[in-house]
Amino acid sequence: MIGLVKDIFARRDLLSMLVVRNVKIRYKESALGFLWTLLGPVFLIAIYAVFMKIIMKFPMPMPVLVSGIFVWQYLAMCLGDSSFAIIGNANLVKKACFPRVLLPLSIVLANFVNFILSLLVMIVYLLWDGPHFGGIAWLPLAMVIHLALCTGISLALSALNVFFRDVQHLTGIFTMAWFFLTPVVYDISMISSITDKHPILGQMYFLNPMAGILALYRAALLGNPLPDLSLIALSVGMTAVVFVAGIMIFQKLQPGFSDEL
Amino acid sequence: MSDIAIQVEGVGKRFRLRSSGGRTLKSMVMDMIHAPGSERDLWALKNVNFTVKRGSTLGLIGANGAGKSTLLSVLAGKIRTTGVISSLLELGAGFHPDLTGRENVFLAGAIMGLTREQMTRRFDAIVNFADIGTFIDQPVKHYSSGMYVRLGFAVAVEVDPDILLVDEVLAVGDASFQRKCLRRMAEFREQNKTMLIISHDLGTIQAVSDQILFLDHGRVLGHGDPGKVVGQYETFWRNQASAERSREWGTREVVLTGAEFSDESGDATTKFKWDHTLKVKLGYEVKTPVGASIFGFGISDEAGRLVHGSNTEIAAMSIPGLSGSGFVELEIPRLNLARGTYFFSFSVHSADHKVNYHRMDNAFAIGVESDMNFEGICNMPSKWRIV
Repeated sequence: MIGLVKDIFARRDLLSMLVVRNVKIRYKESALGFLWTLLGPVFLIAIYAVFMKIIMKFPMPMPVLVSGIFVWQYLAMCLGDSSFAIIGNANLVKKACFPRVLLPLSIVLANFVNFILSLLVMIVYLLWDGPHFGGIAWLPLAMVIHLALCTGISLALSALNVFFRDVQHLTGIFTMAWFFLTPVVYDISMISSITDKHPILGQMYFLNPMAGILALYRAALLGNPLPDLSLIALSVGMTAVVFVAGIMIFQKLQPGFSDEL
Repeated sequence: MSDIAIQVEGVGKRFRLRSSGGRTLKSMVMDMIHAPGSERDLWALKNVNFTVKRGSTLGLIGANGAGKSTLLSVLAGKIRTTGVISSLLELGAGFHPDLTGRENVFLAGAIMGLTREQMTRRFDAIVNFADIGTFIDQPVKHYSSGMYVRLGFAVAVEVDPDILLVDEVLAVGDASFQRKCLRRMAEFREQNKTMLIISHDLGTIQAVSDQILFLDHGRVLGHGDPGKVVGQYETFWRNQASAERSREWGTREVVLTGAEFSDESGDATTKFKWDHTLKVKLGYEVKTPVGASIFGFGISDEAGRLVHGSNTEIAAMSIPGLSGSGFVELEIPRLNLARGTYFFSFSVHSADHKVNYHRMDNAFAIGVESDMNFEGICNMPSKWRIV
């Protein structure tokens, strides 16, 4: 693990260039360019707002929906891109010598750059919407855990997809299921009637790292009350498990990359 | 610092062949219970050993699939080094089509381990060498294939690597760019840099290499002096080529047992100089005694065109009957062929041309070296006069 960090640090120039490359080529040749980072979530928000708030009369405050979609978007981007981190750079992997981990890592970081920019836009919206930001101190923690989760998952997916191309097809379905298991288009308080009666269900719910991460973001940005800290700890613990497992899977599989591509 | 730049010891590479091509659940289960080392394994390289001295150039030759490129990618990808290795395994391998030439140059530099400042210092030289002018700020997907390759080569040589790996670069680009590449490679040698080169152009590789390694099916068949190893490879290749082309048939009352080629002093060889003597000792064995017979020969070029053919009848030599076994000798006093590979065919048939006892088409290959300059395959002495 220390060796890995050293390798990455030694090639930080390459990492930063790969990040810049990924940021640049995502919206290359599209007229609206970076705006798509915002337009994607904005359209999603519009769809859910119309469908859930207006048609289904679901009592959901807009800031909850906005923060949910924007935060989710970062993970969804990483899930979508990371399968191709290694197989999309087969030429480089086969012909050049550099730490392979830079490829998925650069995707995670490039998406993180996009996420931070969209976060700024979201903050502007929240400022306009009204008084928020009660627990802003939670924001750095939320972002660090969020980043760790995306890194762990992306490393695992990028490596697994080299050997099992099924992964790239599965991620779409998996992302969809995860989306509804996570309080993205609803607030955690909306399921509290169930979790209050059966605490064990609440604990299971927070084994989903995104449940805790979103709770932290909403505490930071919207000033929503934070759930019991033991529940947050469950999410953080699971994130650590995913992060370490992702690195281990990647390191275990990477010697076989160039032969498999 | 030791004077050995590359040391390769016992390197092997095994690929596992999958029966279906894809990875299926069944093949995964089979792989798990399947013991290594069976016939489904392909050794792309096996037990390869060599060293390359600092400042010298090693040429790699061998047929397609011999393992040359595998060897270079093993060297480029797997081995930890202290210096900068620049590989031209595939020119512009890391280029992204949507990025501009400039962006790709910096990215390629970073992949090879150079800092941004180091690349900035070299940038002008790269653009100069590649000779692509203002196109440097265009996405490389709009480049012509020549520009793409030039930029790739420029990056690889201008990053000032300690070891340069070159895979078939000389096969691309126009003549003037190739000359530029060769010049740059000569400068490299003067700067005491180490190079590994793959090329199918035997003349060039012989000229630029200090040593040559001859690979076939992942094994080293020859290593050493360029002239010697190239000769060895040519002989090997000719034998393979004639084995592929040769065809024999006949009633087999008389069987041709073999042909030994030699030069004017009688030394066995299959490599001849233009305008020198070629001798063939053709062996035969008679299974059933036959009457008057004719021996014939033909020479074809690589494209299969018959260059020349003749026989004992045309040469007014009569063979009343054949029995037992023996030899006939054919001599071509002056071999007037252009440089290249040629295939000999031999036959023995009845004097009335009705029974073909034994015929071997394209069974023997020879190489001809020539510094004679003319068009075509066969030299015809000619004179010019202004009248």
